[in-house]
Amino acid sequence: MRTIRRRSLFAVAVSGLLALAACGGGQPGASDGSGPPKSGGTLKVSFWPDNPTFSCIDPFQVYWIESRSIIRNFADSLTDQDPETGKIVPWLAESWEISKDGRTYTFKLKDGVTFANGKKLDARAVADNAAGWIATVKATNGAAFGSSYVQGLTGAKVVDPLTVAFQLSKPNSSFLQATSTTNLAITDPAEFQLAPADRCAGKGVVGSGLFALDHYTAKVETVLTRRAGYSWGSELSENRGEARLDKVVFDYVAEDSVRTGNLVSGATDIAWPRNPFSPQDEQLITKSGSTVEKRPLPGVAYTLFSNTDPGRPLADPQVRKALSKAIDRKTYATTIFGPGYPVVQGPFDSTTPYFEPQAEKLAYDPAGARQLLDAAGWTPGAGGIRFKNGAELKIDYPVTSAVPGGELLQAQLKQVGINLVLRPLTPAQQATYTKTGDYDLTSTYFTRADPGALQFILNPDVANSKGLANRAAPAATVTQVKALFAKAIEASEPAPAYAELQDFLVDQGVTIPLFERVQKAGIGKKVHGFAFTSESFLKLNDVWKD
Amino acid sequence: MARYLVGRIGQAVVVLWAAFTLTFAILYLLPSDPLELQLAAAGIQQDSLTPGQLAALRAQFGLDQSILAQYWDHLIGALHGDFGVSLSQGVPVTDLIGRRIGPTLLLSVSAAVVALIAGSVLAYVATFVRWNPLRVFLTRLPALGASFPQFFVALFLIQFFSFQLGWFPATGSEGAASLVMPVLTIAVLASSVLAQVLIKSFDETLRQPYVMTARAKGLSRTAVHLKHAFRNAALPAMTILGVIVGLTVTSAIVVETVFTREGVGKLAQESVLSQDVPVVLAVVTIAAAVFVVVNLIVDLLYPLLDPRISHTREVVVV
Repeated sequence: MRTIRRRSLFAVAVSGLLALAACGGGQPGASDGSGPPKSGGTLKVSFWPDNPTFSCIDPFQVYWIESRSIIRNFADSLTDQDPETGKIVPWLAESWEISKDGRTYTFKLKDGVTFANGKKLDARAVADNAAGWIATVKATNGAAFGSSYVQGLTGAKVVDPLTVAFQLSKPNSSFLQATSTTNLAITDPAEFQLAPADRCAGKGVVGSGLFALDHYTAKVETVLTRRAGYSWGSELSENRGEARLDKVVFDYVAEDSVRTGNLVSGATDIAWPRNPFSPQDEQLITKSGSTVEKRPLPGVAYTLFSNTDPGRPLADPQVRKALSKAIDRKTYATTIFGPGYPVVQGPFDSTTPYFEPQAEKLAYDPAGARQLLDAAGWTPGAGGIRFKNGAELKIDYPVTSAVPGGELLQAQLKQVGINLVLRPLTPAQQATYTKTGDYDLTSTYFTRADPGALQFILNPDVANSKGLANRAAPAATVTQVKALFAKAIEASEPAPAYAELQDFLVDQGVTIPLFERVQKAGIGKKVHGFAFTSESFLKLNDVWKD
Repeated sequence: MARYLVGRIGQAVVVLWAAFTLTFAILYLLPSDPLELQLAAAGIQQDSLTPGQLAALRAQFGLDQSILAQYWDHLIGALHGDFGVSLSQGVPVTDLIGRRIGPTLLLSVSAAVVALIAGSVLAYVATFVRWNPLRVFLTRLPALGASFPQFFVALFLIQFFSFQLGWFPATGSEGAASLVMPVLTIAVLASSVLAQVLIKSFDETLRQPYVMTARAKGLSRTAVHLKHAFRNAALPAMTILGVIVGLTVTSAIVVETVFTREGVGKLAQESVLSQDVPVVLAVVTIAAAVFVVVNLIVDLLYPLLDPRISHTREVVVV
C-alpha cells in the first residue's frame, strides 16, 4: 500500500504539470449546461487508417493507439488510473496489497462481474489471463506489445474465488500501473486457446466492459454495442453503470481534411487524428461550433533514435549531441502544430509519471552544435555541408508520409552543416529496415502512463524491434540503460532512478526528442461528457448525445 | 466465327497469364522479405527469432523454395481460385476480395453507365449546336475534364456537396447517396475520354458524302445526326469502351481511398503499400480478367453495329 501513497505524492507534481500544459481533458460527467444526460443513439468516431502491417484488436498484443482506445471501452482492467493525479484506483479489483518484498500483488475482486458472454470474471479467470499473457510473450519471443508490462511475472494463484495473487520473480514498480492499462485488460481466458493471429482479428476476444465488441473488421470498421447490466465502472467515471450510448461505430478515414470535414458537417461525432490537427483544421472545427479537446499522450515523446553501428556518423556521441543541439524544437512545434503547442522537454511527454523536464539541455544551440562538430573533426566544405576524411556528413533518415515536418528538420540541420536525407518508405519497407540497420536516424514513440514505456523501444529484451534497441546506443550504453531501468523498476521509490535515467539518455544522446505528442480530438456539437483516460485514450462512460 | 472466338479466347488467356506473371515478378523483385511481413502481421519482429526458428518458418510458408517453385504454386493455386492468405491480415485472399468486390463492381458499372450517357450526350450536343462560341466551348470541355486529377475532383466534390451543402456523405459505402460522388468523380474522367473520341468521330462522319445525301433527301438535321451519323460515329467509341471500363477499375483505387469506401480499389492501395503479395496478385489478376472480358465483348459487338466488319474470313470486295 505504501507505493500507492507515494504515487499520490508525486501525483501533485504531475497535476501541476498538467495544468501548465493547459490540457483540456474533459471532466468526468461534464454536463456542460445542456441538461441531464440522454440515453440512446450511435456515436461515430473517425480514426486515421488502421495499422497497415499489424491490424489487431487483442488487448495483450496490440500497440496501436486507436485500437487501445477501442479496447478501453469493451475490456476493463483490475485497476484504473486517474488522468489528473496519476493515482491508481480500484476497478475490477476492490482493493490490493503488495507484499513487502514487492514480488506478490494480491487483488481482491469485485463480486458479480461477468464477461459479455455471461461467463464469470473471478479469480480463476484472472489467473488464467496471467498464464495466457506469459504464453503469448513466449510465443512471440518477447515481441508482443504486452511483454514489457509483465516483466518478471511468473504466474498468478487463486487464493479464494475472488482473490488472486500475482507472483513476480523480482520487484517491478511499474506492475501496478500495468494492471490499469488496456493491454492487461481482463478478457475471457478462453481466447488464449486460440492462435495469436486469430485473436488479433477479434476471435474469442470478450471483455467485461460497458460495451461489447460486436465486430472488428481490420482497416474497415469496429462496432461496439451497449452491454445490459453493466454496473462496475471505476470511480473515475461519474456514470459507473450502463453506457448512455447504444452503439459506437469506429471507422478509418485516410484523408485528414475529409475526417475534419465530416466532423464539421456533422457526418461524424468525433474526429480522432493521430498527428495533431493542423492549425487550419483546428480553426475550422472551433468555428463550426465543435470543440477540440487535447491532452499530451503520456509515454515516450516523438523521438529520434540513432544507428550507432561502427562506421556510421551517429556512432560518435558528440555528433548525436550536435544533432540534438541543432534542432530548434520551439520553432518546430509552432510551425508544424501551431502557436501555443507545447515544446518537448525530455525523453518523455509531460503527462508521464516521474517526468523530469530537461528543457535546458534540449535548448536550441547552433553555435554549440558547430563547436561539437568541429571538435569531432567534421569541417565545413563547399555549400556548408561538413566533411571528414572526404566523407560527407550525410544522415540517412527513412520516413513515411505520416511523419510530419521532415523538411523543417532537414532545413534546421543544414544550418550547422548536417545533410539530412529524407528517404520515403512504404509501410512494408518500414517494417523491415530497423532490422537490417539500413538507416542513420529513425523516429518512434510509445504511449504508456509510465516511464517503463521506453523499454518497449530501448530494452532489447522486451523491445518491439530488437534491431532498433541494439543500435540506438553502443553495447556498453545499452547495458547501462538496462541497468538504470532495472534500478528504477526494482526500487521501492523509483523517482530518483527515473530522473537519473532521463538525464543519462539525454546526456548520451541516446534519445533525441523532437516534439511532444498531443492527442487532439474534435468533438461534435451533439456530444457531451467527453473524457480522456490517463493514457489519453477515449473514455465513453459518461458520453451521451443530444 | 467459332475459329475467331477460339483465337480471341486464347489471346485473352495469354494476356491474363502475362499479367499474373509480370505482377509476380515485380512483387518479388521488390526489396522486402515476405516472411518479415508475415511476422510483422503476427506482431513478431524477425530479429527476435533465432536462425533455426527462421528456417522453420521459411519452410512452413514455402519460402525456402526457389522462386520458380513458388511461382508455380501460386499459379496452380490461382487456377483453382485459391490465392492464398493475406500477409498483413492472415485472412484468405478470396474472403477479403469476396467481401469487397460487390461495392466496387457497383461503383464501376454505375460510373461506366453514367460516363457512357454523359459522354455521348456531350458529344452529340457539341457537334449539333451551330452557335460557334458554344460549340467551341463544348468541344474543349472534355480536354478539361480529362486533365483534372481525380483526387482533386473528389476533394472538390466533398468540399462542396458534403461539407457546404450536406447533400451527400463524404465517406462510407452505405446507401445510394454514398455512391453519387464517387460515381461522378470517375464519370468526369471517363466521359471526357469518351466524348473526345466521339466528337472527333462525329465530325469526320458528318463530312462523309452519305450525310450530305441524307440531308439532300430532305431529312432534318436531327434525324441525320441521330439515325445516320450516330451509329457510324459510335464505332471508334466502342473501341475505347474497354479502355473506359479499365479506367473505372483503376479509378476505384483513388476514389475508394478518398471517399473511404470499402472496395477492391482501396484494398489494392493498402496491399501495395504493405506489400501484401497474394492480395495484390489476386487483385491484378481479377482486374486483368475484367479488362480482357470487356474487350472480348466489344470485339464481338462490332459486327452488330457495322455489318461491314466481320469476323469470318471472307474476302470483302469493295
